[in-house]
This record gives sequence, structure tokens and C-alpha cells, in this order.
Amino acid sequence: MVFNTGAALLDAIVLAAVSGETEGTYGYKITQDVRQVLEVSESTLYPVLRRLQKDGCLDTYDQEFAGRNRRYYRITEAGTAQLNLYKMEWKIYASKISGFLEEKNHS
Amino acid sequence: MNRKEYLERLEQLLLVLPKEEREEALLYYSDYFDDAGIENEADVIRELGSPEEVAAKIRAGYAGEYAEYSEQGYEDARFQNRQEMTAAYKEDNAEWKDSVYEAEREAGTGDKKKTKAKNTNIWKIIAIVLIILIAGPVVIPLGIAAVAVIFSIIIAILAVVVSIVVAIGISGFAIAFAGLAIVVAGIAKMIFIPSVAVLAVGVGLLLLALGIVVSWFMISLAVKVIPVVIRGIVRLVKAPFRKAGAGK
Repeated sequence: MVFNTGAALLDAIVLAAVSGETEGTYGYKITQDVRQVLEVSESTLYPVLRRLQKDGCLDTYDQEFAGRNRRYYRITEAGTAQLNLYKMEWKIYASKISGFLEEKNHS
Repeated sequence: MNRKEYLERLEQLLLVLPKEEREEALLYYSDYFDDAGIENEADVIRELGSPEEVAAKIRAGYAGEYAEYSEQGYEDARFQNRQEMTAAYKEDNAEWKDSVYEAEREAGTGDKKKTKAKNTNIWKIIAIVLIILIAGPVVIPLGIAAVAVIFSIIIAILAVVVSIVVAIGISGFAIAFAGLAIVVAGIAKMIFIPSVAVLAVGVGLLLLALGIVVSWFMISLAVKVIPVVIRGIVRLVKAPFRKAGAGK
């Protein structure tokens, strides 16, 4: 990708990926989901998840899966509020940028 | 390197972190290997990069606000941004930096010029003081004499101009009077030699007219020119003082 992804945008995408799973999701799946839209290295997401967890946007719980414990992530209320803020901000930002690029292109 | 070795190496590299942080990270990556499946173990190891890289990212993330995500992944701004600016970024900034440095350089030389000018000013003042002290006894009387000479020349020129104007004016009056006198004399002689008398009256009238014209011209000249001349002289005398004032 030509454009850099800022920390806020990456947070937004990770929050969206987690919020999409009502029953919670886990690290490997989050990574695969995020990699559908962003070219991130597989080792990029752990620090993001850990930070969002510390900020209270995500919480974790362990659940048995295939005879072992798997760590699940789910979005908190604060995380949902944060995600909504990001969504609103992104809408404004994206429409501003696209509008500007189109307008300047056609004039 | 297999999964076990990979995670052991990672654990070693994360020993600097608190136990809770280390266990959290190791749990995440062991889950990751489990969920990727044993068949993908080599792919995952290749995708993740070396344990050193992964550990660096975890530590940077733990350091918090210094870590910043970019296309190259997480970077710790305190260490990497300074050393590992990409070539493109450097190139983009090279021109800007050059112009900044140039401006700084110019500003620097500008300051030097200013101090230089100040220095020469100080030297000038010292030189002037020395000249006055050494040459003063000779120069000051000479200066006074020169000023006196200039003043007398100006006054002389003024006197000459004024006297010429006044003289011509007076001669104009004289001519007019002479003309009038000749006219009167001519009229008196009219009875004896009428032809000469008429000539005399004519010449007298001409002289009268000429005298009036000359007088009129010189009076108007005096009224118009003399103030201009005086003003010019005043300006001439003032000029050196004004210059000295402006020099400050």
C-alpha cells in the first residue's frame, strides 16, 4: 500500500474486527481478518491488541477449544464507543479526502 | 527452528519485561501457532520473522506511546526513526534541509556583517577622536577660517547680486527721470527749434518708457529672485549640519 496506516486507523480496524465477532475472537483469526484489508506483518497485531486491552477497549477470557485453552478477545463498552468515534472520524476524513481529490481532478 | 525453539528464544528475549507481560505475549504466540495448525508451523515462523524482531515489537508496544505503527510495522520513535529514516524520506527532506541550512548560514553571515559594521563604527569614532586630539589645534582654527571664508564669499555674492539688481533698478529710475527731463526741456524749446524739440520729446518719451520697463523688471526680479537666493544660501549653510544630524 502506498499510504501509511496510522496507529489510530490500525486500532479502528482491529476494534472493528473484534466487534464483528459477537462470541469473541482470537489472535490468529483477528490477524487473518485484518490482513484482508491491510498488509500487516503477523507480528504487528499483538502489541496493538495488548494496548487496546490495557486501555479497556478489549477484554479477554479463556475458553476451552479442541482440548486446550484458547484466549479470546471481545470488545468492551468503552471499545465500542471508541470504535464509533473512529468510524465517525473516518467518515469525515475519507469523504473530505475523496471529495477534494475528485473536485481537484475534474476542475 | 521449530515452534518450541522459537517460543523459548522469544521467552529469553522477553526476560526484560515483567512476568505478566512476558506470559501474556507467550500465551498469544503459542495460541497463534496452535490456531495456525501444525502443518503451517514453518509458514508462521517465516511470516512472523525472527524471535528478535517479534520481541522488539512486543517491547516497543510495552514502551507505549513511543511506538508508532507504519507500513514497516511498529517502530520505536526514540531509536529507529533517527537512525533508520528511509532513503526516500531523506531525499524528500534533503532539499528542504538545504534551504534551511542556507537560510541559517545567511543569517549567520548577516550577524557577522552586523558586528563587523559595529566594529568599524567604533574604529571610526576612535580615529575621529584621535584626529581631533592630534590635529585639533591646527584643524579647528583652519576650519573656523574656512567657514568664515565661505560665509564672506556667500555674503559677497549676495551683496553683488543685490547691488546689481538695485543698481539696474536705480538706473531704470534715472533713465525714466532723464527721459522726463528731456521731454520737459523739449517742450520748453518747442517755440525756438520745433524740429529738435520734437526729437527731444520723442527721445525723452522713449527713455521714460525704457526706464519704467527696466525699473519694473528689476523690481519684480528683486521681489522674486532675492528671497529664492536667500533661501538657497540658508539651505547651503544648513546642509552640513543637517547631514551631520542624519549621520546619527
